Amino acid sequence: VLASGATLKEFASNSTPSPEGRTAPNSDDAFQKLLLRVAAKAAGRADPTSLIQLFCAATREFFQVSGVYFWRRHAGDELVGEQADGKLAERFIGLRLLPQQSAVTAEAVRSRRTIFVNQLQSSPTFPAAHQFEARSLMAAPLVVFDEVIGAATFLHDSDEEFFNEDLAAKATILAGQLGSLLEATRLGEASREEHRRAEILAEVTHALHGTPDVAAVLEALADRLRILLRTRLVSILLRREGPFELRAVSAETPQLANSFRAGHDRQTIRFAADLAQRAVSAGETITISISSDQHSLGSMVSAGMLIAAPFRTTRTQGAILVYPRHEGTFTPEEKALVAAIAGLGAVAVAHAELCATAQAQAKELQQLLEISSELRSSGDLEHFLQAFVVRAADFLGFGRCFIALLEDGQFHVRYAVARGEARRLDTVYPEGIATRALRAKEAFWSDDLTQLAGANLEAIAQYHARQLLTVPLLGADEAVLGMFGVLDRLDGTGISQQDIRRARALAAQVSVVLEVAHNLHQSERHRRRAEALMQLAREIDGLLRLPDFARKFVERAIQLAGARAGAVALFQDGRFQTVVLHPQRTEDRALHHRFVQALSGFVAKRPEAIVSGSAAELLGPEVASSLNWADCVVVRLPGSNGELAGLLCLSGRTQPLSPEDRELFEAVAGHAAMALENARLFTRIEQANRHWLEIFDAITDFIVVHDETDKVLRVNRSLAAMIGVAPSELIGVNMRALLTLTNEGTLYSCPFCRAMGEDSDEFVHPALDRTYLVSTSRVHGASGENLQTIHVLKDITDRREAERRYRELFDNIQEGLFFSTPEGRFIEVNDALVAMLGYASREELLQVDIPTQVYFSPEQRQHHSEILAKDGHLRNFEATLRRKNGTPIYVLINAFGMYDSQGNLLQIRGLMLDVTGLHTYQSELQRERDFSGKILSNTQSLILVSDTAGLISYANRRWYEAGFEQRELLGRPLLELAAPGFVRALSDALQSTLSGGQVDNLELQIMRGNGHAGQFSVNLSPMRDEQDNINSIVVVMTDITDSADLRDKLVHAEKMAAVGQLVSGVAHEVNNPLTAILGFADLLMENPEVPETARKDLRVILLEAQRTKQIVQNLLSFARQMPPQRKPVQLNLILRRTIQLRSYDFNSHGVDVIEHLDEGLPDVIGDAHQLQQVFLNILNNAYDAVHEVGRPARIEITSMRAGEAVEVSFRDNGPGISHPGRIFEPFFTTKEVGKGTGLGLSICYGIVNEHGGEIRCHNNTDGQGATFIVRFPAAPNTASLSVAAGVNQP
Amino acid sequence: MTTPAIQRSVMPPVLLIEDEPSIMALVSATLERNGYEVVCIESGADALRMLEKGQFLGVVSDMRTPGGVDGAQVHTWIAQHRPDLVDKVVIITGDYANEETVSTLRKIGAFYLEKPFRVQDLISAVEKTMGKAR
Repeated sequence: VLASGATLKEFASNSTPSPEGRTAPNSDDAFQKLLLRVAAKAAGRADPTSLIQLFCAATREFFQVSGVYFWRRHAGDELVGEQADGKLAERFIGLRLLPQQSAVTAEAVRSRRTIFVNQLQSSPTFPAAHQFEARSLMAAPLVVFDEVIGAATFLHDSDEEFFNEDLAAKATILAGQLGSLLEATRLGEASREEHRRAEILAEVTHALHGTPDVAAVLEALADRLRILLRTRLVSILLRREGPFELRAVSAETPQLANSFRAGHDRQTIRFAADLAQRAVSAGETITISISSDQHSLGSMVSAGMLIAAPFRTTRTQGAILVYPRHEGTFTPEEKALVAAIAGLGAVAVAHAELCATAQAQAKELQQLLEISSELRSSGDLEHFLQAFVVRAADFLGFGRCFIALLEDGQFHVRYAVARGEARRLDTVYPEGIATRALRAKEAFWSDDLTQLAGANLEAIAQYHARQLLTVPLLGADEAVLGMFGVLDRLDGTGISQQDIRRARALAAQVSVVLEVAHNLHQSERHRRRAEALMQLAREIDGLLRLPDFARKFVERAIQLAGARAGAVALFQDGRFQTVVLHPQRTEDRALHHRFVQALSGFVAKRPEAIVSGSAAELLGPEVASSLNWADCVVVRLPGSNGELAGLLCLSGRTQPLSPEDRELFEAVAGHAAMALENARLFTRIEQANRHWLEIFDAITDFIVVHDETDKVLRVNRSLAAMIGVAPSELIGVNMRALLTLTNEGTLYSCPFCRAMGEDSDEFVHPALDRTYLVSTSRVHGASGENLQTIHVLKDITDRREAERRYRELFDNIQEGLFFSTPEGRFIEVNDALVAMLGYASREELLQVDIPTQVYFSPEQRQHHSEILAKDGHLRNFEATLRRKNGTPIYVLINAFGMYDSQGNLLQIRGLMLDVTGLHTYQSELQRERDFSGKILSNTQSLILVSDTAGLISYANRRWYEAGFEQRELLGRPLLELAAPGFVRALSDALQSTLSGGQVDNLELQIMRGNGHAGQFSVNLSPMRDEQDNINSIVVVMTDITDSADLRDKLVHAEKMAAVGQLVSGVAHEVNNPLTAILGFADLLMENPEVPETARKDLRVILLEAQRTKQIVQNLLSFARQMPPQRKPVQLNLILRRTIQLRSYDFNSHGVDVIEHLDEGLPDVIGDAHQLQQVFLNILNNAYDAVHEVGRPARIEITSMRAGEAVEVSFRDNGPGISHPGRIFEPFFTTKEVGKGTGLGLSICYGIVNEHGGEIRCHNNTDGQGATFIVRFPAAPNTASLSVAAGVNQP
Repeated sequence: MTTPAIQRSVMPPVLLIEDEPSIMALVSATLERNGYEVVCIESGADALRMLEKGQFLGVVSDMRTPGGVDGAQVHTWIAQHRPDLVDKVVIITGDYANEETVSTLRKIGAFYLEKPFRVQDLISAVEKTMGKAR
């Protein structure tokens, strides 16, 4: 503990701890106040500097020293003087002290203990102390998180013996507190920058207290005892769970201490531990005779009587071993004293343990509370005092002994012993002569109380008291704490001066113990409150919603203040907005309202920070009774800038408002203010942060933040999206990874830092081939030390490209471009202008004077300038300029002026076109265009141009004459023009042309403008651009519908002629015999000679002959070529006649023909012969089809009305059609060669089409055969026409 | 059979131009049974030669006759050379499917019968053009 060479201020157990002069200011009470004052300052959110200032000034005042100096520990363990108060303060600032230097403070930091050195004047060891003219010095390290952050040094420049253990203990506590508060403040500061305030507050709570100092206490104890008893060696051993361990050694010489500590011979320690165990087992102080070979310390320690005094706390067993003196043995008194001091040791250890526990970690709060409760019950003090009265009675030789404590102005007897039996009492010591003396801090004694004048005989009789000796228990501030008294000497002798002196000594001990206990109680209370405050702070700081905050706050405040009920009202925007009553009274809105009114009234009347009084007085009787509040404390919650932030009301407190309570409330108010401010601040930070994050992510430029090790800290969404991952996935990735993504071999870590290193602000992404403008800044992160690098990457590829294009355009455009000054100098020209004006280079042209050298006359330019000034631009302005060689050039000028913000012309920018040769070229072009146009317009062919996607981009005039509209052609797919069934062919032709082929004379049906298909001959040719790429297709179509019709007719006519000839030939040949048969049969019938039986046969012959005649006539009717007619016809009639034509074949081949003919079928306008031909063809087809398959052949013929149309269907059960889509194509046949021409259905198609109808076919869905469906438009006014139609039926 | 014989002497015969024996037989049989005398000839050309000098009640001609002269031509010749007989020509045709034939017949305005015809049709046609047999 002590630096060698210095002298310890002696400990005197039977004297008051301090000289008279400075007792009052640095008393324990003052000490508590100082602690609270510093804590309140910190709670008030003082900055560290002012906190240290306060500390220096307050502790100087408290300790009454010449100077207090605050050191800050910096990197490399160097201490640097930061602040000071008092002597040579200005010299101290900036002073440097290395830990290895010989200095009291350095020693304190090294040992992490408070150290004091007196009588410095005689010690040359500390040069720095001499520098500051110190007579005595004390240094306390600031230990936080088990780490020294600084030190406080206390200096006295006149008193050689100023510092002592007591001051050292207080300095230790103060330094610990300052360290904690500084750390708390630092963390608090940091927390404003960090958003995780709650976590840090938790850490602050952890850091509230420094490392406990049990060892120091024990060392001091051992030292004092050794000096007191004048022995060479005192050791203290402690044990918790395991064996006894040496905790403190005080030896006459360092060598002795070292050999004891080093324990070269383990025997030494084991022997000591055995002695300790024996004392603990005995449960009382024992004396043991030891020899040097037992203690193994050789000649350094004498043989003789050793005192072993046990002590115990709730958790620790310990023993003080006082080794034999050189000369003389210990007296019983000395032995008793060791026992008493061992008790003190127990208290000290308990204290230290409590400190250790309290100062350990906040997470062990539960443990702390447990120990606090132990403390509150003063279990150890009780123990001690009870043991004390017993021992005191025994020591002094009195029959009874008691201790009374002065509480509420009365002496309450707490501990008493009668004839060796301890009793716990609580009786009031009767007032009388004795109490009066005691209050005057005087001892009182009497050998016969009854003889005293004014004695309280009743009390004397009650307690059977005769002899009485009482001494006052005086506290550190000389206040009377109580009394210590003994009754009736056992040996019956009178009370001696020695008795009085001994009683005083014992009383002093009790006083010390009481003081310590009180202090402990006080600091525990303070600590508990500090804990509660921190708890409060931590809880309410996490609550950023004000109602939550208010609710929690009021609950905590009530709890903290020991109140029954309370309320908090937060003042916002000029009124109380958030009001929370506890217990909750939410159901009563009116009460809330009246309460707020009462508070508003109160605020106006009472400006004090804390007001205590009756609720009726403060809030009005009505509100008070509604709330059922008798008393009330109103605490103002100050806002950050001093204005009112709210009120805290508390009611139902059991005790009157003490100054400590006021301090507590101030602290609470301070915390609330801080929390409120935090809540506001936090909300703002949150909002700002969120806002910032939104902006960060909304920015389309890429942003990446990395640390010094090139780890990505943050990227914005744009960058992450570019890479194709979520932003969070990139956090922690090395910047190199961004390059890895780009597949570039890497030498550098951050590609963007490299870009900066090469003095280029551009970064070209190697894979994406995009250019980024990198702007980089380096900042210190919120956590302080780390340098963060922020890169903002702006994609300037487009800008670069635009610039490049602009440059390219400017340089390569064939028009002359110029920027010129208003005065008439070119600033910038392109090569085209240089060439146009006949100069050799740009540089040469930039030298010319425009008005005189480019214009033929300055007036001409002046004229241009005026127009420019007037209109702001020149548009297609023709001018004649001068070339370098003097020849004129005709140009067209387009120019505009560039103006500054004041409207002054800065530049003229424009473009010149050489129009000298333009006119002739234009006319040539026009002629050519007209020529082509005329060809296109006048050709009879339909000409289209299609792009490579098959969309029509041009159609010549013939198309529009053919009934198309522009919107039906331009932009429409070419394939849409093809009639159904021809799309494929056209598509194939288009593809062939696109691959470079030429398609000629493709015959297709193309939809005409009127919606009907026409036969077209189509030529497709690819059209190529300069690079020989096909860029469009020219389609030339010629309508060959007429020639195709002609051809069809020819075919038909030829066929019909042949058929007609055949048929008529056959008919002719048949007719002759038929005529003869009929005629002769008629003649026979007329012949009367023919008998009736023969006539009957003849009739059969006639009938059959007539049937034959009908057949022949039908045949001839079919063969007869008739001109097409358009008359109403009845399809049913035509159907029946057609069926009849083939009925022989159907019957003879077992084809079942089923007719479903709708008798109400409307007429159709058409040619009966042609329609018959259609039906016949379909029937023939069906017949051929059903004939092919083995199953019973069936043809169903149905006629029906279908809306505005008439529909006839022929359903067969043949094999079906293999190519339903092609069946109507000409010459398409599935029949055997020679069996069909393939024209039949094609002719049908033509006929039906000519009738405005449609014909289609499909395979039956039931899998058998096919159905042909023919539809015709129904004729209007069918009913009236149908009669007339009959006339026309052949 | 006698009475008809006497009558035959006073009434000129009907010239029948027909190359088909069965029709020739039927027509002559029908006409004779109804009191007409019938001279039959197979060729149109031969018929014209007979018409130059012979007396006939009328002419019944097939449309298609061998010898380069068909029924229509016979009718045309008669209209030119024997106007007295032009209304007494009945042409038999089995060729009505032939549009040409039909239009020719319509053009010349001759009375015609389509094969196969009934006996009654023939009698009424002859009676209408040449009068009843006496």
